Formats: sequence, structure tokens, C-alpha cells
Amino acid sequence: MFEYLNQVQNIKTIITIGSMALFCVGLFGLLTKKHFIKIFISIAIMESSLFLFFIGLSYNSSLVAPILTKNHQNFSQMNDPIPHAMILTAIVIGMSVLALGISFAIEYYKVTGKTKIDEMKDLRH
Amino acid sequence: MSFKRDISTSSLSGFTLSAILILTILSILIQNIPKQITTAGDKLLELNSQEGVSNAVTSVVVYFRGFDTLGEIAVLFIASLGIGLMLSNNTKCDIKAQSNFMLKTAAKILFPIILLFGIYIIVYGHLSPGGGFQGGVIIASAILLLVISYQNFELSHKIIELLETFAGISYVLIGLIGLIVLDKFLGNFLPSNISNMGMLLSGGIIPIIYIIIGIKVGSEMSLIVQNLIRRAQ
Amino acid sequence: MIGLIILCTFIGIIIIAFASIIQNKLVDSIILFMGVGLGSVVLFTIFKAPDVALTEAVIGTGVSSLIFLMALKHLKATK
Repeated sequence: MFEYLNQVQNIKTIITIGSMALFCVGLFGLLTKKHFIKIFISIAIMESSLFLFFIGLSYNSSLVAPILTKNHQNFSQMNDPIPHAMILTAIVIGMSVLALGISFAIEYYKVTGKTKIDEMKDLRH
Repeated sequence: MSFKRDISTSSLSGFTLSAILILTILSILIQNIPKQITTAGDKLLELNSQEGVSNAVTSVVVYFRGFDTLGEIAVLFIASLGIGLMLSNNTKCDIKAQSNFMLKTAAKILFPIILLFGIYIIVYGHLSPGGGFQGGVIIASAILLLVISYQNFELSHKIIELLETFAGISYVLIGLIGLIVLDKFLGNFLPSNISNMGMLLSGGIIPIIYIIIGIKVGSEMSLIVQNLIRRAQ
Repeated sequence: MIGLIILCTFIGIIIIAFASIIQNKLVDSIILFMGVGLGSVVLFTIFKAPDVALTEAVIGTGVSSLIFLMALKHLKATK
């Protein structure tokens, strides 16, 4: 069973199904829960699943990390550095947008005192 | 008219199960990708051997894709601005609980160690995994330790403003100098020989830009952390 | 061997994420969300991406959970 799971297409299948299942768990939490902090946690879980998907698909088990060391002296046979750079930017931006959203929600709670999204109907006529 | 969110649990589980089924079919289709594809990353790895920087991800983030990093710093700045504006500034803050004596002593000992570790990760960003973003947030976590332990500790707003402005302006200034000297925005105008690879002073402007990013991210995250904790009452 | 490790880590992350959403208290929910971040760091290390693992460990597990905990403190302070 170890050799069956070590083939390249089976590893990619595991990564795809696993990260998409995590995305579905986050989606379930986003649609069902009513407290706004749980909704923010579900959004953060969905973002994490996409980062795992992106880096997992560009993973090759026979290459090394893209950094020069004592054992590896030249820039060949390395993993792709471009997805790493893009995901670095995406993680930082995701965190900053989450912080801004939470501060908006806290201010709304201080003004009106409601935490569940069922009761937030000030803008409805 | 009342607004009810009555999506039942059974329909939601049916939805997620069908989503997993569709994605299983997609993953079977992925298996037909050919094994050997040449991507842009291989070309960048070849180009990187002329820059003289050991960490390939650093050179992609700072040099080959430096403009995206400038946009990311702008997004961080806007988020920090929004948080500072939104949280209301109640000056009536009665301090209810004093911290534990163990916490105060441990924070006094640990703060310089964590600060030094953060500065190490920023400065060695082009030789080992790390860089400006990671080191900046580590510095902010050292400041967080002090803010939790001592109730009277406040970072002076003027110094943080000065650091942020200086870092932001010098990033754009370095880009403009590159434009004047080399006809390329954020071009590498300092000497970067391959013979220096592995030393601290190598790679031209790449370590300098990462230090500037580290200063900016560190000061911004410290301000965000202090705003979130101090303006609670 | 690597395929088995990746499979077990994914199953662990999915179970922890599901447990984080269906909790009753909010403090437990936030602490289990830190567990998702930790499993994510382990997976990034297996995928040979050290920069991304360091960034996710510092930002995703450290500062992001801190923001949630501070939000909880604001909610309880003005009750």
C-alpha cells in the first residue's frame, strides 16, 4: 500500500480531495452559523485550504527546496519558487483583510449590541 | 418582513457531498497532466544564478516581482489605517486586573531575545528561509508580550509614524534611483557578484529592500496589536 | 511512505476544522482554529516550502488567532 500511495498521480489526488474537503467544511460553517466570529473563522479556514492546494500541486518529491545549502550548490533540480512567492503575499493580505473586517464588526457591536446576523436588519425597510 | 436563514442541515450535507464528488472527477482529470513541464520558474532559477542570492524565493519576491510587493505594502498600510480609525478611542479605561508577577518577570527576560531573533530573521532573509514579513511579525509579537504584561506601557505614536514614513518613502526612492541609473524601476544598481554568494553583503539592493520591508511591517503590526489591546475598554 | 503521512495529516486537519465550527463556546473554537494552522505548517514543511511554512506559522497561527481573541475580549468587556 505504501508504493501505491507514493505514485505521483495518487499524491495529487489525495491533495486535491483533501484540500477541497477542507474548503467544503469551511463553506458549511459559512452557510450555517449565525455568530459573526464563527463566520470569520470559516472564511479563514477556506483561505488556508486554497494555500494548501496551490503549493501541493506544484510539489515534486524528487526535487529539493529552492535554497542553496552546503549539499546542494547550484540552481538546478529545485522546486518552483514562483508559487511560494505568490502564496507569501496572499497569506499576508488575507490576514490584513481579516483584521479590518473584525474591527468593523466590533464597532457595529458597540453601537447596536447585536452579534448574530439574523438580527442585523437595520438597513432593511 | 422577517429574514430567516432556514437552510436545513440535510440539504447542506447533500450540497457538500455533491461538491466532493465533482472535485473527485476533477482530480481524475488532473492525472492526465504530462510529467515534464517546463515552467517560468525554471527560467527564473537560471536567471537567479546571476544575481548572487542564495534564497531563490527572496529574489523572486523582492527583485523579479518587486512591484507586487510594493502593492502588498500598500494593502497593509490601508488595513492599519482602517483599524486605527475604526476602533473608538475611549479615554475612560479603568484597569481592572494587574498582571501576574511571573508574567512580568518572564516578559522582561524574553523581550530582548525575541527582538534579536526577529532582527536576525530579517537581516539573513536572503541566505536562509525568512525575510521581512516573517521577521516583522516576530518583532510585533515581542512588543505584544510587553503590552500584555505592563499596563502602563504605550509605544509613542510619533516614533512609529516616523519609522513607517521613512520605510515607505525609501522603498519608492530606491526604485526611482534604479529608474534613473539603469532605466528600470527597482533595478539592481549596487554590485552583485556571484563570487559573494553566501555572504551577508551580497545581491545588491535585495537585502536593503528586505530590511526596509521588515521595519515597515514590524512597526505597523505593533501599532495594530497595541490598538486592538489598549482600546478595549 | 510520504503518501501515507500526507493522507493522515489531511484527515487530522479536516477533523479539527469540523470540530472547530460546531463548538458551543467561542474560546474552544478559536483554539481549535490554531490547530488547523499548525497542521498546515506541518504540511508545508512536507511539501518542501520553508518560507511559506515560516510565514504561515507566524501569521496564520500567531497574529490571526490573536486578532480573534482580542475580538472576543471586546465582546465581553462591553457586556
